[in-house]
Amino acid sequence: MNEGDHMSQKNIESNPFVDVSVFLFFEDISDKQGVEGFTNYMVGQAESLAKSVPSEEYETWDDFASAVASGESVFSSFENIEQISKFGFVTKNCPFSKAIREYIKRIGNFNPVHMEATDHYNHTIQPSAAHSACMMHQTYRKEVAKRIKVGGKPLQYAQIGAKAHTGQIALPPESWKKVLLDKAGISETQGFMEMRENSCLYLLYVDE
Amino acid sequence: MMDIAIYSLVDDMVSKAGTEGVVEYWLRVGESYAERMGKEAYVGWPAFNVAMKEGRTSLTVEGQVNVLTDLAITDRDGDVIGYVYALKTCPMAPTMGRYILRIGPIPDSDTDVADSYNNRVRDSAVSNYCITHQKFREVAANNITVAKQALECLQLANKGMTGEVKMVPESLERINVDERHIKSILRSASCVFAIIIKGKTAGEEIIE
Repeated sequence: MNEGDHMSQKNIESNPFVDVSVFLFFEDISDKQGVEGFTNYMVGQAESLAKSVPSEEYETWDDFASAVASGESVFSSFENIEQISKFGFVTKNCPFSKAIREYIKRIGNFNPVHMEATDHYNHTIQPSAAHSACMMHQTYRKEVAKRIKVGGKPLQYAQIGAKAHTGQIALPPESWKKVLLDKAGISETQGFMEMRENSCLYLLYVDE
Repeated sequence: MMDIAIYSLVDDMVSKAGTEGVVEYWLRVGESYAERMGKEAYVGWPAFNVAMKEGRTSLTVEGQVNVLTDLAITDRDGDVIGYVYALKTCPMAPTMGRYILRIGPIPDSDTDVADSYNNRVRDSAVSNYCITHQKFREVAANNITVAKQALECLQLANKGMTGEVKMVPESLERINVDERHIKSILRSASCVFAIIIKGKTAGEEIIE
């Protein structure tokens, strides 16, 4: 690659050619190791990625929330995050949406193994993924949270809603949902309104 | 974010399947990607070169390609059998840039996998992603016809992030182009390749 390629790196987007090939890499893994192998690799590499990022410390919750919203925290390295309540946060555009669109444009329908792996994740890990990419994204968030301290306490993350490119929304079971929404300080109706405008709704907090 | 996963995925894969296993995965991904792009037919080289310039061929999904029409490759009768093309920016350049900026140094597994490919398959990879990229081009070219003749892609040279250059002497010899000429093209490109009529060589025909 050119030396000039490294100029203004901060805002350059990925090449969709690469994005699509990563999806195909996971499909190849599933050919050899099944849906379980697909899921394990997707989760495992997200954990590894998160463990590679630098740790962070913030004195106050407001300092952390401000760093996340301005894209300065490692938590928002790959997505634009907006704070909607003290502990409620949303991502407007899924950082995988471009890769998903490009896959569909160039190759066609998604290989069914992506949905099978998503179901496997929802049944064996937690019922929060709307697409296979959510497994990577939510695992990354969970692991990155462990590397961030606010007021000396570790950051906690819990997924509330995730919307797929098909419009399908993954939500937690009713009993969890109420607890999570209460903790985020938003009503169920507000939660649905947020999911109409955004691709992901989640909770970030520290234990009191 | 999908593209960033490559490095942690490859790191994980190397620990489980070894560098040789990752090379095999990448080769299958390149092949499968190209096969799923479908077939193309062009009435002649001008039509094909216009499609390359306009980014309409499966070969140009990787990014903007300069068509070096001054480097026509001819057979012993003086008939054009192909051209040299230069990929302006490596598709991994944005990913590498963001990884270094957001996460840290590129993991050693990237070079380990590339070395495994260079030692066992062909000495032409400057990063692990070159493996799937070059395989993609080879298979995609086989799925294109110009004047009803199938094409073949010859990898000529590429340049890594730190400036290291890989040349493929057997390919340069086959199209009868001087190494210094290709190096001058690499000053403003990241990857140089030739597309020729399958089985042909500059100056004479290959005896099957």
